[in-house]
Amino acid sequence: MKWISRKDRAREVDRAGWGRTAGAAIASFIYFFPVLVIIITAFKKHTDALAVPAKLFPDFMGWLVPERLTFTPTLENFVSVFSRSFTTGGAAQDTGFDLFFFNSIFIAGSSVLLALAIGTLAAFGFSRYPLKGNDTYLFVILTTRMLPAIVVIIPVMLMFRITGLAGTYTGIILLYTAFNLPFTIWMMKSFFDELSPDVEDAARIDGSSDRGVFFKICMPQVVAGLAATAVFGLILTWNEFLFALLLTGVDTRTVPVAMSQTIGGDIGVRWGLLAAIETLFLIPVILVTFFLQNQLLRGVTFGTVKR
Amino acid sequence: MAAKTELALRVSGVSKRFGAVTALENLNFEVKKGGFFVLFGPSSVGKTTTLRAICGLEKVDSGSIEVDGRDATTAAIRDRGVTMVFQSFALYPHMTVAQNFAYPLKEAGVSSKEIKQRVGETVEMLRLSHRLKNKPSTLSGGEQQRVALGRALIRRPKILLLDEPLTNLDAKLRHDMRAELKRLHRQLGMTIVYATPDELEALSMGEDIAVMEHGRVVQQGTPDELYERPKNIYVATKIGSPHMNLLDISASAENNMLNTSFGPLSSMHQSLPTAEPLVLGVRPSDVKIAKIGEPQIPAKVSLIEPMGDLTVVSVQAGNAQLRMVLSEADATGMKTGEALNIAIKPKDVHIFQKSNGVAIPSPA
Repeated sequence: MKWISRKDRAREVDRAGWGRTAGAAIASFIYFFPVLVIIITAFKKHTDALAVPAKLFPDFMGWLVPERLTFTPTLENFVSVFSRSFTTGGAAQDTGFDLFFFNSIFIAGSSVLLALAIGTLAAFGFSRYPLKGNDTYLFVILTTRMLPAIVVIIPVMLMFRITGLAGTYTGIILLYTAFNLPFTIWMMKSFFDELSPDVEDAARIDGSSDRGVFFKICMPQVVAGLAATAVFGLILTWNEFLFALLLTGVDTRTVPVAMSQTIGGDIGVRWGLLAAIETLFLIPVILVTFFLQNQLLRGVTFGTVKR
Repeated sequence: MAAKTELALRVSGVSKRFGAVTALENLNFEVKKGGFFVLFGPSSVGKTTTLRAICGLEKVDSGSIEVDGRDATTAAIRDRGVTMVFQSFALYPHMTVAQNFAYPLKEAGVSSKEIKQRVGETVEMLRLSHRLKNKPSTLSGGEQQRVALGRALIRRPKILLLDEPLTNLDAKLRHDMRAELKRLHRQLGMTIVYATPDELEALSMGEDIAVMEHGRVVQQGTPDELYERPKNIYVATKIGSPHMNLLDISASAENNMLNTSFGPLSSMHQSLPTAEPLVLGVRPSDVKIAKIGEPQIPAKVSLIEPMGDLTVVSVQAGNAQLRMVLSEADATGMKTGEALNIAIKPKDVHIFQKSNGVAIPSPA
């Protein structure tokens, strides 16, 4: 297996030439522009955020652009995300976003880890110890993701009400785990299918038990797959809104739900605050993707490179 | 009893089916301790299945496997004292060369001090000391091969199984590795069972060769035995290059003369069946240019294939096409269409029954 090293990637730029690299940069800028606007807005006062035409430049860039397009950056939005400055009718109110961020991280993290643990074992079983009707089982697992979420929300809500899971961490974590399992199983199975069975036989001859083969031989080879699957699941769970809206309680609310509830009130939408929450909300996803980028690259190119 | 202790491996009556496919059928062979034993046959005759059964990766349906005089038919893989090198090398891609070597020892619970020492010895023996920290994917084919060998040898197995280990190497490396394997075998004196579809490998390396067909051993013997006295047409055509010439003939009642399309031919065989159709086999190297005084067979050159120091010449004699191997000197100046007298010595004649391909033994 050969992966693209840093040096090779630099060489890729050389090969593509400056024209194509610049083209790619422009395209990236266009795609990233809305995100950029949100990040900029997070640093604006309420009045600046509402200004037309949009003030896109911080004031230290005033020598470059007309003054009416600049704003004075402020951190007050970020402060208000976590402090009691969210006022309703003059009374200070706890925005509570420290709790909501914790909820989002805890719920997404737990459900992805749980889905990885269960799904990886299931995938290994499907890949290495196929049952009669293996493909049918795999298809049945996939069908659980075929209906739009809105179709199953009522039965799920009823189940949660009856079992008392509504509004609890356990409930929403179990639900997200169930959501993540199908694609975790499918993705991990495809990674296990790529491994050479000879290598596992070699380990058996070298004295490994089935457990040893799984943990010492197979798992280390699919680390890239685990990373790719984890990021995929994290993003899906991190962004989930509908079920979180209906099935989490006041204490277990996730950021997307809480964010939507800041809209409204007597001064209208507080764009600056909303943008600050969104900016903070982006950070974990960017961090995870950044730290796993090499693994991800291997994950998405897995099997496309001849070994 | 004495004979039994000299055996490293005895496979008796082993059968194995995969669903409707019979992979091994009543397989029997014995391997002497310290021997270099070759399982030879084209692909899908059951060589790999045989090796996998010996090391325990496949359970056999019936029959028994004895390793070192002890029954190992149902023994756990790790208790058999057998290791194997796979055709694909099957190195652990996520481990360095050193870790690949250490893995079997770690799994066997060997102390880290001894692991270090034995990895050192193995690396020395295989000349891989400069590669210890590398991952397998960064090694050349020959180096990967040596790592696979080292990993199999480091546990000091009673028997080393090699499954077409040279197939994935290029021609030059294959030649070097053949010599290397023979050197290792002499140096370590362990029993080797070597599966290959390559006749040259089989003949040059094997002290004892079992020719396989359809999941069983057709003939077992030394390279000379297989070459000189093939038991049937299958073995006769698989061993020896270029392949043995085969012609339909019959035997005449008088003097045991053979009726061929190019006239009568004498052989050493006695009391051949005259009613039955027979097949004559002659090695290309045994078809010679006739000397004066010898019984001569008129023939015509139809194809000349120079192969360096040897030349393969096809000649037409009667209705029959015969290939002969000539030295470069003998073949110089030869042209297609040229007339030529050839001779076949009675002692070089092999005769098989046409009905089942079984050889009729000659007294010589």
